[in-house]
Amino acid sequence: MIAMFRAVLYSQWKWSRLIVVLGTVAAFAIPLVSLQGAARADRGALQAPELLRAVQSWGTLYPLLATALGLLMAIAAWAPDHRGRHIHALTLPLERWRYVLLRFGAGLLLLAAPIGAVLVGSSLAVLTATLPPGLQAYPIALAVRFAFAVCVAYAVFFAVSAGTARTAGIILGAIAALILVQVVAGIANIDLDLLRGAQAVLLLGPGPLAVFAGRWMLVDV
Amino acid sequence: MTDAIHLERLHYRAGKHFEIANLDLHVPSGSIYGFLGPNGSGKTTTIRLILGLLRPLSGRVTVLGLPMPEQHAQVLGRVGYVPEQPHLDATLTVRELIDFQAAFYPRWDRARAEELAGRFELDGDHLFGRLSKGQKAKLMILLALAQCGDLLVLDEPTDGLDPVVRRDILSALVAYVSERGATIFISSHLVHELERVCDWIAVMDDGRLVTEAPMEKLKHGTKRLVVMDAPAEIVNPPFRVLTRESANGGGAGENWVVGDWEPGMTSYFDGVGASVRDVIDLDLEDGFVELLRSFRKVGTRR
Repeated sequence: MIAMFRAVLYSQWKWSRLIVVLGTVAAFAIPLVSLQGAARADRGALQAPELLRAVQSWGTLYPLLATALGLLMAIAAWAPDHRGRHIHALTLPLERWRYVLLRFGAGLLLLAAPIGAVLVGSSLAVLTATLPPGLQAYPIALAVRFAFAVCVAYAVFFAVSAGTARTAGIILGAIAALILVQVVAGIANIDLDLLRGAQAVLLLGPGPLAVFAGRWMLVDV
Repeated sequence: MTDAIHLERLHYRAGKHFEIANLDLHVPSGSIYGFLGPNGSGKTTTIRLILGLLRPLSGRVTVLGLPMPEQHAQVLGRVGYVPEQPHLDATLTVRELIDFQAAFYPRWDRARAEELAGRFELDGDHLFGRLSKGQKAKLMILLALAQCGDLLVLDEPTDGLDPVVRRDILSALVAYVSERGATIFISSHLVHELERVCDWIAVMDDGRLVTEAPMEKLKHGTKRLVVMDAPAEIVNPPFRVLTRESANGGGAGENWVVGDWEPGMTSYFDGVGASVRDVIDLDLEDGFVELLRSFRKVGTRR
């Protein structure tokens, strides 16, 4: 099984190395850039709100990066199999769930690079910055949250991407139906807010996508 | 002799217009079994059912003594498969594809893979997507042979290839069988190609089995007869009448194409007041065409 995993990992690395490298560079750079200027010697307590605003606005990039990485890695994991109509994968001598697990595991392992880059980048940014009094740095918490977000995004898109075009059609159809019902309800003056409801279910705790919502702060009070 | 592949009353439907109905097939172990049929006759679908890529609606598939698709992981470890279209990833090199495949097969023979790569003149650094059609076919054969399976399932492996590549591939297959005693199940619509290597033949048309017989029986038992004064109805002939039609030029002569023919059977015609003026050998292709014509007219297995 180790040899199989190595083979799958290598092929997946070859298909997604550009995504991994660019994602890793971005994940390393965002924390450093978000704290740029925080090391200025003349920064006093009055500059803390300004710093927090900067950190918060840069912080919106973490969930976006996590989503993009999850999406692209999931697509890369299945694209060659889709192109070959899964014939090669289905004729390999192992149970199909094992093959899916190998592909999923290989993708997760490759995503460890950008996750590690967030941790290293955040730690380095904090070490080289002089924070205003009263502010704390949370590099490990940020990296752990980024790791969760990447895993959730990868898992969701991996599941969707593993399916057939029919599966994708059903998901898109469900979303389209939701929007259509909302539009019709609006025209008919019916008090129905499905989109807000869906958003609340998905994004507010303990929703499955709650990890993406809220503020992503490397530095906070 | 046990069967390497055994299909029993297999039923599968794909859409509204195509179905495989009540298919029985017995591929003896150690044989080179040719699976003939025109394009769209159901050969590839049958192969996918055999390999567990598709699930039948009913019926039973047994491969190397194990039920499919239930035991597909165990079976596929002993089966080399060459699909009709190469489905490998175009962005991997020949070497990377060989290494990938080697990781999944416990009986992978690295030395054989090297030897075949040399014999087929495959450059390990070339991307699969940049290989010629012939090189791709050779690589697929290499991957199937190096895993040292007990059964090779080849779906039109030489379709569209030049004669030199075809010969290279067929000689590699024959050498493999003689060395390992493996079974080869090879589908094709190229009759002459199968005639050279196979010892069993099955013919399929429109999702149904037309015939299944040893090559010698099919080849030497199918004849064209020129029959004089043939009666309109014949009762219980010892051979199978595939087609009968008036000979060119009219008169009392008829052309018959018969199966299961043996030399002494001309005496049957004496008993019904007819005579055989000529017995003409048919090659496999002629026999195949006559079988299909007869099958399409009557619609039953021969």
